[in-house]
Amino acid sequence: MKSDLHFKESNITFLKLFVFLILSILFLFLDKDLEYGNKVRNNISYLIQPVYNLASLPSKISDNIQIYFKNKNELIEENNILKKKIQIQSGIIQKIPSLTEENNRLKKLLDSSISFNSSKILLAELIRVNLSPFSNKIIINKGGDKNLSIGQTVIDSTGILGQISEINQTFSVVTLITDPGHALLGVNTRTKKRIVISGTGDNRKLKAMYIALNEDVMEGDSLITSGLDNVFPEGYLIGKISKIKKDINQDFLDVSVIPSSALSSNREVMVLW
Amino acid sequence: MVIINKVHFVTIVFLMIGVILNLIPLPDLLTAIKPPFLLLILIYWSLAFPKHISLTYAFVTGIIMDILLITPIGYHALCFTVTIYLILIYYPQMRLQSSWNKMASLLIILIPYFLMSTAVNNILGISFNLLHVIFSILISVIIWPGLFNVLRFIRQKYTS
Repeated sequence: MKSDLHFKESNITFLKLFVFLILSILFLFLDKDLEYGNKVRNNISYLIQPVYNLASLPSKISDNIQIYFKNKNELIEENNILKKKIQIQSGIIQKIPSLTEENNRLKKLLDSSISFNSSKILLAELIRVNLSPFSNKIIINKGGDKNLSIGQTVIDSTGILGQISEINQTFSVVTLITDPGHALLGVNTRTKKRIVISGTGDNRKLKAMYIALNEDVMEGDSLITSGLDNVFPEGYLIGKISKIKKDINQDFLDVSVIPSSALSSNREVMVLW
Repeated sequence: MVIINKVHFVTIVFLMIGVILNLIPLPDLLTAIKPPFLLLILIYWSLAFPKHISLTYAFVTGIIMDILLITPIGYHALCFTVTIYLILIYYPQMRLQSSWNKMASLLIILIPYFLMSTAVNNILGISFNLLHVIFSILISVIIWPGLFNVLRFIRQKYTS
């Protein structure tokens, strides 16, 4: 009698396993591109936000403790350096309006179209939670309530970071340019040749694709966004070519690029309009 | 009945702690080789109460993980369900083992989990580093006896 019961129970377990396996594989197929997941997250974002906040609390506390124990003299020195930096940079910025004016005038002479640079910038802070080690996504603390939209460019002070791929009420998800499913069109500043740059999954490495064996590329060339992909505005720094491997049996060169922005150690980012 | 409710309550509390532990940011290198805390906690509770904490828990926790970690829904659910099924098969043996033996059995249970997740990674085109995965398994096995003792202490205190 008892063994009978035991048998039944293991049957139920097996049935459960079967149902759950089918369900999860079905979900995986449906949600391959994170479409349904986005909808779910959108609807319960008020539940997710506190969890993220709780998880990022330790790093916030440690930051605050570090600030608290910083020497006063150190702070004064840092402040002075930053002030000088701002002075120099605002000196440079003064020239920008006249330069754009001149640039537009010259472009008119050449009969090419005038490019309008985006001007509005929104500062956003990273919500520092640890997504899966394989994911190349970050979460920022500005969302639908700040009128963000999908596809907006996210940069930091040294270069381009990625684009917004999901928007919730109070936070949004940024897909980094190092995501293996992400590619963008860049320009080599030295030769003005266009190059497709795709992510590798490693946050310290990008790769430049489809470069013919005889094309003119050199280590140290810097790449900027071309603006031709209709996602990223023109002229932001992507990275530098770090290594070129030539193999005559391959169709294309194997070119690695180091991203110029600090993709994994950022605190604050900027969203462009 | 009261005790069973207690079991569910304590388990849910610990699974929440596991979720938070999984999300807490760590330095870059540690992030890559971080053990799957939530899965380890789930394994402990399903070892302790295989009748109550079983596949449904694994599946639901996996779905919650997928939503929070922005992975395709079903990814963690699939891996967790398979792992807990292995536990449900092996728990009578695992309970009797010494702690060294338990480490070995955990290794045997975690290897299919990581094989499964790397297989799904491959199919979905998510990149991963095999060396990091191996380190992650080893660290899970190393911290297992400590985690086991802590959780057993809590179980004896709160659920009996």
